[in-house]
Formats: sequence, C-alpha cells, structure tokens
Amino acid sequence: MKLYEHEALGSIFKKYKIPVPRYVFSAEMNDAVRQFVEKEPGVVIKSMVLVGKRGKAGAVKVVSDKAQVGKIFADLATREVYGEKSIGALVEEKLDIEKEFYLSVTYSTKDRAPAIIFSEHGGMDVEEIDPKLIHTYVVSDVRSVYPYQIRQFLAGIGFSDKDLLRPLSEVIVNVYNAFWGSESRLLEINPLVVARSGEKRKIVAADAVVILDDDASVNPAVVYGARSAQGRPLTQREQDAILIDQGDHRGKAGSYVELDGDIAMMTFGGGGSTVTAETAIEAGLRIANLTDIGGNPPAEKMYRISRIILSKPGLKGVLVCGGTASNTRIDVTLGEGLAKAIDDMIAEGVLAKNLVWVVRRSGPEYVKGLKMLHECFVRNGIRGEIFDSQLPITEAPIRLKELLIKHIAYKPEQSA
Amino acid sequence: MKGTVYLNDKTGIVVIGATGREASQVIKESEALYPGIVKAGITPGKGGSTELPVPVFDTLKEAISDPKVGPLLNTALIYVPPVSVLDAVMECLDNGIKVLYIITEHVPIRDSEIIFQEKVRRGAIIVGGTSLGCFVPSVGRIGAIGGKDPSIAFRDGGIVVISKSGGLTVTTAEMFKRRGWGTYMALAIGGDIISNTTYADVLKEIKGDPRVKGVVMLGEPGGSYEEQVADLILSGGFDKPVVAFISGRFQERMPEGVAFGHAGAIVERGMGKATDKIARLEAAGKKCPVKVAFYYHDLVKAIESLGVPRDFEDSTTEHVKPLYSTI
Repeated sequence: MKLYEHEALGSIFKKYKIPVPRYVFSAEMNDAVRQFVEKEPGVVIKSMVLVGKRGKAGAVKVVSDKAQVGKIFADLATREVYGEKSIGALVEEKLDIEKEFYLSVTYSTKDRAPAIIFSEHGGMDVEEIDPKLIHTYVVSDVRSVYPYQIRQFLAGIGFSDKDLLRPLSEVIVNVYNAFWGSESRLLEINPLVVARSGEKRKIVAADAVVILDDDASVNPAVVYGARSAQGRPLTQREQDAILIDQGDHRGKAGSYVELDGDIAMMTFGGGGSTVTAETAIEAGLRIANLTDIGGNPPAEKMYRISRIILSKPGLKGVLVCGGTASNTRIDVTLGEGLAKAIDDMIAEGVLAKNLVWVVRRSGPEYVKGLKMLHECFVRNGIRGEIFDSQLPITEAPIRLKELLIKHIAYKPEQSA
Repeated sequence: MKGTVYLNDKTGIVVIGATGREASQVIKESEALYPGIVKAGITPGKGGSTELPVPVFDTLKEAISDPKVGPLLNTALIYVPPVSVLDAVMECLDNGIKVLYIITEHVPIRDSEIIFQEKVRRGAIIVGGTSLGCFVPSVGRIGAIGGKDPSIAFRDGGIVVISKSGGLTVTTAEMFKRRGWGTYMALAIGGDIISNTTYADVLKEIKGDPRVKGVVMLGEPGGSYEEQVADLILSGGFDKPVVAFISGRFQERMPEGVAFGHAGAIVERGMGKATDKIARLEAAGKKCPVKVAFYYHDLVKAIESLGVPRDFEDSTTEHVKPLYSTI
C-alpha cells in the first residue's frame, strides 16, 4: 500500500530520524498554513496524490511571492493529477539546493535481498538516469547494517564529495532502517538534496515515496485506512463484492474488478484466472470484469458473486472457467451457487436469455456439478456449452469467441 | 535415491500446525494415498491428540526425540498463520530439518527475507511461501497438490512442471497427461517476492537427473526469477528442453493498478514486465532448446516441437466435444 508523502514524513521519516524540510499538511487553507508561510522566506507546495511524476504534471510549485500562496494552495490542494483527486497540499520550506542525489531501498529479486540504490545524479526520473551512474549496495546480511559499510560502498563507487561521507552514510543507514522497520517494499527519496544552511551544508529528503507490504505484520490498511489501488473510486458492484468475504473465511469469492467490456468472466484461482483473462483479451473478447474465486467457497458466497458478475449491464457472453481444482467443490460452487443465481435472476427478469455461455471446469465432484448446471441451463433456456478438462483451460475463451460470432455476430477486437 | 531432493523415497514429513482445518485434511488425504509418508504433526497444546492418523506433539523437539518417529523426520510442511511462519521455520531449522515447504500465503516480506538468509546460512532447502507442495507420482506427495484424487491430473512420466501458481501446476500436469506426457515432478514454488526456491534453483538441482525429459515452466510478471532461467540456460547451466508460458501480458495494456494474483506479480517502475521475460527466454531459445508458448495451451505443441518423447499415448481427439450443449 502506497502512502501519501505527508503520511511517510509524519509516521516513518520522523521515527527513523531521516532529515526532512519543515512542513505542514492541510486539506484546506487554515491558520496553521498561514502561520507556516509567514515564517518562511519561500515555500514549495505539492498536491497530495499517490500517483508519481507530480512535477511534470505541474502539481509541485515553488512560491516566493506570498501574495500568490492562497491561490496556488487552493488549486494544488483540490486539483486532479493524472485523473487522481488531490486530498490536500503539503507546504514545505524552500531549500537552498546545492545538489540532488537519488536514493531508494527495495527488494532485489536478483539477489533476494534488500538493495540500497544510490546515484549522485538525482532529481530526474530514475528511468532517465544513465544506468552507469546508478549504484547498488546489496544487504546480504540483514542482521547488521552499519554506516562504515555504506562509506566503503560510496568510496568504491568514486563518490566525489568526501566531506559528506560520514553524514550521508548515516542518513542512508537511517533510510535503510526505516525501510526495514516499517516493513516497506519500496522506500524512495528523489531527490535527496544537499542544501546550504548558512555556512553549513545539510542532507535533506525533499521527497518521500513509501510502499508498505500489504502482508506486513501490522496491516497497513488498518493503520492508514484502506485505499483503492486503481486511482478511481470502487463501483457499487466492487463494493458489494468486498462484503462477500467479510466475516466468513471459508474460501474467497469477493475479489472483483470491473472493466468496460461485454463478456462476464467467472474465473477461478489466481493463476487460472490470469491465463484465462489473458487469453480472452488476446482472442479479442472485451471482458466486463475479473474475478479470482478459490479456496472452496460455500454456495452462498458463490450465489452472491454470481449475481454481481451477471448483473453488469450490456453483457453479450459469459465465461465460467477454471482449472482442475484441488479443493474447491464443483457441485457446491457451480451446481448449487451459480445455478441458484441463474434460477433467481431469470425468475426476476434481470438476466438476459440470449447470452452465450461457455463453461469449463474440473475438480472434486465435477461430474455431478456440471450435470446440475446443465439442468439449470435447460430449465431456464440458457444457451451454451459445458466442458470438463478435456478442453484445455485457455481454449475455453476461444470457443466462446467462436460461438459468439456464430450465434450473435459478435465483433471481436483486433487481437494484438 | 528414488525421486528428487524435494521429494524422494526417504522423505518423512512432519506437519507444523497439523490440527488446523486445511492441514488435517491434507494429512488424512496423504495417508490414504501414500500411507506412512506423513510421520508426525506439531500443534502447541495439542500434544498427544489422537484426532489425526499420525502422532501429534507440542513441540518439534519432542517429535525429534521420539525414538519411533524422530529418526524418520526430514521434511517439514508448514501450515501456520502468516505471522507465525518465521517462528515455525526457525523451529524446523534449529531442530535439524533440512527440507521445508511453506504453504502459508501472505507471509510478511521482511520475514521471508530473514527466512531466505537463514536458509542460505544453514544450507537448507525451503519451498514457498505460497507453495501448494510437490508431487512425484512414482514416490509420493507433499501438500494438497492434486486434491483427493490426483490421478485425474498426474501419471508417472518425464516432465517437470514448475509453477508459481499452485492451481496451474495441477491444470498443466493434466493438460500434458491427456496428450501423452506424464509428470516426473510437479513443484509449486509460490509467487512471493522473496522466493526461497526459484525456477533456476530447481533446474540446478535436477540437471543431472536422467529421468527428466523436459521442463514446463509457468511464469508471472514481477521480479526477475524467469529471467534468471534464461541466464542459466545461456551460460550452459541447463541443457534439457524447457517450454515456458509467462502470464500477464494483458496487464500491461490495462490501467495501472489493475494487478491480479500473487504478491510478487506487481510491475514496479517498469521492472519485471511479462513481455521482457518472454523476450529474454526467446533470446535463449535461439541457441538452446527453449520455447515460449504464446497461448497457454500451446505449451503442448511447444514440447512436441522440442522433441520431448511421449510417455504414453495421446488420449484426446482432434475436436473436443462439450459434455453438454444447449446452443
């Protein structure tokens, strides 16, 4: 889960003694902001959004003329940045910047260890820095990380500013400790600046990107509040789906994402759902939703997610597709849960009969479950084909495409 | 030794967190399929319980000290909640267990990192987190892989299936079985960011095994474990046929944030894209017997094109007929 910059500064950078500019955050202009601005010769104002590259979107502004602060604050605190609505603005002291570094800590799957990534050429997007100028220190023993190790690393890469060796190495160790202690998966400071302060120089984090591990020992959604990863509010059906798994840990049926297509996707298992959706898209089907059902959910959960999946407006086809389940009962999930949803929705007149269905599933009690679903199709006049695992899982979306073209003249997207 | 380092005819399993819902079901199923492969279970506070077909102990140390089962224990199957996994792993390593499977999902990454570094220091083998287990039809099974009736998907043969996704491990074995290739070993390595056993780790372990005729690898976006296979093969570290399918190309065409599947399957700052993984493996395929399938079901054609011999007859017909049709 990604944190807003002010959350990272207030709860993590402060705790681990990472030097930051003086700052104040607010959703709206108030006395605290006015008093802060009064004391500073100049300020930097930033929109508080989760999306990156704010500077390029004009959502970070340096303001020296205090008469302009109110107007700029009001704009940045409320504007949309790449489609994401700002929740407020961060106002920081304007630093007298001498130079800018890049610093981040993340997990390297190459080394299977935390990696400290540093460049003397920060301030621009990391992808724009010449890879030869980016250096990595791999923490191959997480039990001990000391500043001297970082100084050896900096000396080894030819770090040019010898006076900064000690303070920089101490800041980097603090940043590493913040990454480790807060259970982050990414902690990035770009730029980490060297600022002039009278006769002295100081190292200051002029930005803060923190992505916490969603599986951390303390759930970040509990600490910071749940937030959608999609940069848009959840749809009604997505909100309804989340409720399915609340208070009932038997199986998982509530993972549901809505898209703009016309093919309902009832898919099972993380890997199976991904390859099925992928093949459907490659084949030119416009998918209306994504699901990832597993862990042998009871019929009641299947009933609820089935109704959600099938209630998306504008559907033309339905794909019910999963691999060979190890655990999930096919009679319970398809024979009972899905079939009852179809019965009820047809009776209520809220499910079209002219949809084209393809079902492909195997696993415990699949013979019984697929027969029950077929009986449901017959009594409700549902049109489609039902396969077991003789049909490879990813040929199911291709078969659905063929049936759609043949029976309702579906026009698939041109595949890539 | 019959089998692999991951599962062989000497394997004796101790289940950590044995009396939980999933674990107790797996113990009962394992006992029915391969009697005696599970030797003991551990649940603090449940020592002496007779609810399982194997003896239950409060601590692993007690099980190891037991004259009857102790000497037979060498493989741990971990089913404890996410925050207890690190503790369970340390209990196993400190009691001399050298092969561990972590079935638990959602292990904190920081704990996974500590586990990985301990594993390296101690020279142990750990599979997971988020593993579904391992199946070697000629020897036995560890975990729930294949469910109550694994014969639907598994028959003894020469293919090794390695997958981050547990469900796809079984589905893939079954697809190959229907077309005439049996499984020598299926290993669900899990999709965590810090993976204790990677594809490349497995290939290094099995490279000299004459029973391995070909490898099927199922990859996902995120991280660099798939790329490491390309590097290993290009450096001459593995020379048997490898076919791969990498899922997740479609995520690249979707709005950012529409992520799906495992914790590790997140593309961050352009790193770990499915298309890059595919390109790296295809480049290895110019010099070595490596093939990437465009569609998942093309894996069968791919293994055929690399000349991996069938273990038995192809049981499918050209056109698969639906079980039921109402259209």
